Amino acid sequence: MENIKELFEPFNTQYIELYKENWLKVKLESSSDLLDVARVIKNHGIRSIATVSPTDFIEDNIFEMNYFFEDLNTYKNVWLKVDIPRELSECKIDSITPLFAGANWHEREAHSMYGVHFINHPDLSWFIVSADYYGKFPFRKGFDWKAHEQNLIENMNTIVDDLYDEHGSNDKRLDGSKTILNWGPTHPASGPIRLKVEVDGEEILAIEPDIGYVWRALEHLVEEKDFLGSIVALERICFMDNTNSMICYAQAVEEIAGKEITDFAKMMRVLLGEIGRIVSHLMGIGGFFNTMGLMTLFMWAIDLREYFLDVLENYSGARVATASIEPGGVRYPLNMKTLELLDVAIEEYERTKDDFYNIFLKNPLMKSRATKVGIITKDEVHDFSLCGIVARASGVKTDIRLDEPYAAYDKIDMDYMIEENGAAKNRLDVLFKEIAQSISILKQASSDLRDGIKSQIYNPQKDHLVKIPKKLPAGEAISRVEWSRGELMMHLVTQEKATSPYRLKIKAPSFNHTMILEHLLKGQTLSDIPLVFGSLYICQGDLDR
Amino acid sequence: MEFLFNIYIFPGILFILTWAVFVFWFFRKILATLHKRVGPHYNGYAGTMQTFYDFSKLLTKESITPKGVNPYLFSSIPLIAPMLAIIPVVFIPWMPNFVIINSSYGVLGLVVLIGIEPFLLFLTGFGSNNKYSFLGGVRILTQMISMETSFFLSALSPALLFSTMNLTEIADMSSWFSTLILFPGAMLFFVSILGILEQPPFNIPDAEQEIVYGFYTEYSGTNYFLLKLAEFAEFLVTFAAMVTLFFGGYHGLFFDGFICLFIKMLIFAVLMIAIRASNPRLRLSQMLEFAWSYLVPLSLLNIVWILYAKQFILGD
Amino acid sequence: MLKILDFFDYAKSQSAWMVHFCSGCCSLEMAAAMGPRYDWERYGYLVTPTPRQADVIFITGLVSKKILPALLRTYAQMPEPSYVAAMGACAYDGGPYNDSVAVIKNVTEILPADVFIAGCPPVPEAIITGLDEIKGKIARGEPSVASQGGLWKQMKF
Repeated sequence: MENIKELFEPFNTQYIELYKENWLKVKLESSSDLLDVARVIKNHGIRSIATVSPTDFIEDNIFEMNYFFEDLNTYKNVWLKVDIPRELSECKIDSITPLFAGANWHEREAHSMYGVHFINHPDLSWFIVSADYYGKFPFRKGFDWKAHEQNLIENMNTIVDDLYDEHGSNDKRLDGSKTILNWGPTHPASGPIRLKVEVDGEEILAIEPDIGYVWRALEHLVEEKDFLGSIVALERICFMDNTNSMICYAQAVEEIAGKEITDFAKMMRVLLGEIGRIVSHLMGIGGFFNTMGLMTLFMWAIDLREYFLDVLENYSGARVATASIEPGGVRYPLNMKTLELLDVAIEEYERTKDDFYNIFLKNPLMKSRATKVGIITKDEVHDFSLCGIVARASGVKTDIRLDEPYAAYDKIDMDYMIEENGAAKNRLDVLFKEIAQSISILKQASSDLRDGIKSQIYNPQKDHLVKIPKKLPAGEAISRVEWSRGELMMHLVTQEKATSPYRLKIKAPSFNHTMILEHLLKGQTLSDIPLVFGSLYICQGDLDR
Repeated sequence: MEFLFNIYIFPGILFILTWAVFVFWFFRKILATLHKRVGPHYNGYAGTMQTFYDFSKLLTKESITPKGVNPYLFSSIPLIAPMLAIIPVVFIPWMPNFVIINSSYGVLGLVVLIGIEPFLLFLTGFGSNNKYSFLGGVRILTQMISMETSFFLSALSPALLFSTMNLTEIADMSSWFSTLILFPGAMLFFVSILGILEQPPFNIPDAEQEIVYGFYTEYSGTNYFLLKLAEFAEFLVTFAAMVTLFFGGYHGLFFDGFICLFIKMLIFAVLMIAIRASNPRLRLSQMLEFAWSYLVPLSLLNIVWILYAKQFILGD
Repeated sequence: MLKILDFFDYAKSQSAWMVHFCSGCCSLEMAAAMGPRYDWERYGYLVTPTPRQADVIFITGLVSKKILPALLRTYAQMPEPSYVAAMGACAYDGGPYNDSVAVIKNVTEILPADVFIAGCPPVPEAIITGLDEIKGKIARGEPSVASQGGLWKQMKF
């Protein structure tokens, strides 16, 4: 990290310090240095940016902007902070989109929610919020929500009028064989997202995603609940994999409180996290073939998935919304019936996995459709800061469980699952390999738990939870986990003796993946849209939050 | 009297309706077994009354005509399409010594009438005021032009082998040996039929994930019921034509009769469902390349093979 | 004559088709109800891609303000008689998102529902039991609640 520290010599900084052995935390004095600092960082080799997030300090009358730069080759990252004034007329800063293409939509979101104006941004239009919030900047502290919500019918009429205006202007603009198709919220293959596809016959000219149909304002919702109650909101970021997002939040709270959890709880977190990953990947494999019209693999995969949901139901009482992990450890004590059900599930997987491989993953018609479509190169992974399955299928070695181990992953034997070439079929192969790897991690974790309980190192009735105080001291923390879709990062800020979070920023992986959709599909035909969209493994729940 | 029996009972209206109810249930049960599920189960014995209830429900729903459609095309095509699909029934020999029109141009009549049906469906896509239906209509036109060439080339091969176009004589003259010679032609005919009936892997015009439901999108109630009846009548006619031309028609192992024809048709239906359950859908450009680079040249080679076999092997 | 109409009501109730509309998290359990373990095709239910051929629409969980016009338009395109099933705690009063101000809390005042299925998310057996109630309602010939009132008739969509 020393050579990165030297990069900041020419600039005025308030402090430079080391954070958690992989991050360098720097605070700049003035916001006009931002573009030069960004250029220096990029020339050094750090090419990805995870997210851009403002924190609103209303008593000091400033916004503190946070930039998280990541290097996917050497895993040494930079966390940059700078202050700007809070008044709407002076709330401006340079945009870094010309240097880092992956910051495009993050800056648009900061503009729509907080009102920060980014100079020289290519297209700073309204984003995610519904039309009745245009110009009102809902996340600023001091915005009166209840008054805004009294007139429901007028708000709805504003939204509908805006939609009709857009249709009218489209009709005037195009002629001949060009038209705009709405891959709309009620399309059978899309889920709640709208893609505006401009076509000429069957060839695609442009795609513009319109998101925000599942916007629940989760980042504001946790400010109304206390630290324990926020679990209810955060486990529903995306229902398909619900355990790993609770691990991320719990780690951030434990770091601010300064408490360390037991080894038993760490190994239980590994067990629950891997079950969540398998459950989500099985649905992802089925969904990929669904986009091409073949329902059989979806049915077989859902049948296998039910065995793993039985394990979660035995442990926590619910199949999908489990609420099984909280700050301090895991929520319930363990009884041995859960581990026996896990053995039954693994045996069912071993019995059916050869059928999946021989009939579907080697299917020649699927190969002829998916081998040359949606190719992402290694440079694009770095420029747009992609992560998870999408990055590993293009040959980039990045996995948070190995780069920055958390919970009990330092005791587990695993490896990077990568493929070359980056086409849609390679992403399917990586999904399949990851399921096999998760099964082997589950076997290691379950045998470790059994040995520990038998030799009385672990006490399954008492070791599962450590007490966390209700009021936390002031501080901030970032925490990253390897969610099934990619890298999930949460940035938590607390004030002195508060009972609820002051600011929680959630960086979701599907956001960056949807940004490159237009780049991949220009010039292809209509039949390729569901295929590429399905292979990028996007879930609308974490796209909109 | 016998004339009225033929029109209303067998092989007329009642036979077609019973076949539609039966085959929809059969497809759903076989597909469910391949999916590791149980299909319709609770209505009637093992779910046999389910399709009957489905069709009764469709007859009593409101039939919506959207604003802005072309009234002639939208409302009249669902009346014409089932009639045109049922007509080829008169050419096929159903039982020994029972055929309604015993003409010496049977094969030609079948090919022309089966081939003209999809062009009516293109007009439905053109007449609904909807971008998705229009895309579905254009796709069906592209697909039919490519697949019909190999369809009629391979349908001509038994006529060339036996030197007659009369369907009853073709069914009577076939034997194990001639079936073996005609086998490549039968496979080409089967693949072309998958394209004409829009079944997977060629179900491009009603691609559910891409263009909502193709040209069926705006139809509801009675109109939808009539279009579906046309589709099931097409199934009946094409499967019966395949069995009669290539596999001997109503002749069986120990006895002749209608039941042998029916069992052979069901074997091909099971084969079609098995292909549906294990193959995804093709792209339009891939289908065109497959049809014009592989199917049509192979059909021409098949005709050469038939003429060679007729000259040197059968010895005529 | 009346007996024939009773037969058609019974036929309508035994083959209810639903349209594919997913606006919230509960649609995951709807997908599980189609799977081999809780197979709902045994009772005759089928999922169709277009609303023109459907009888029942599900409000799957939360409805945000941006997607409400699409939901109302889909319901209006369905031919009569059409029924509404509200799934999950969010369709009743906002569920776990009650404090959030981007989620509509009183969806069933805007589009009234014929049956409420409780749970967050409801298990697939609960979904099938809820659909049984709609079947009984259709067999008795009662009209749907949404066709007789509700705020949706005053809104633009």
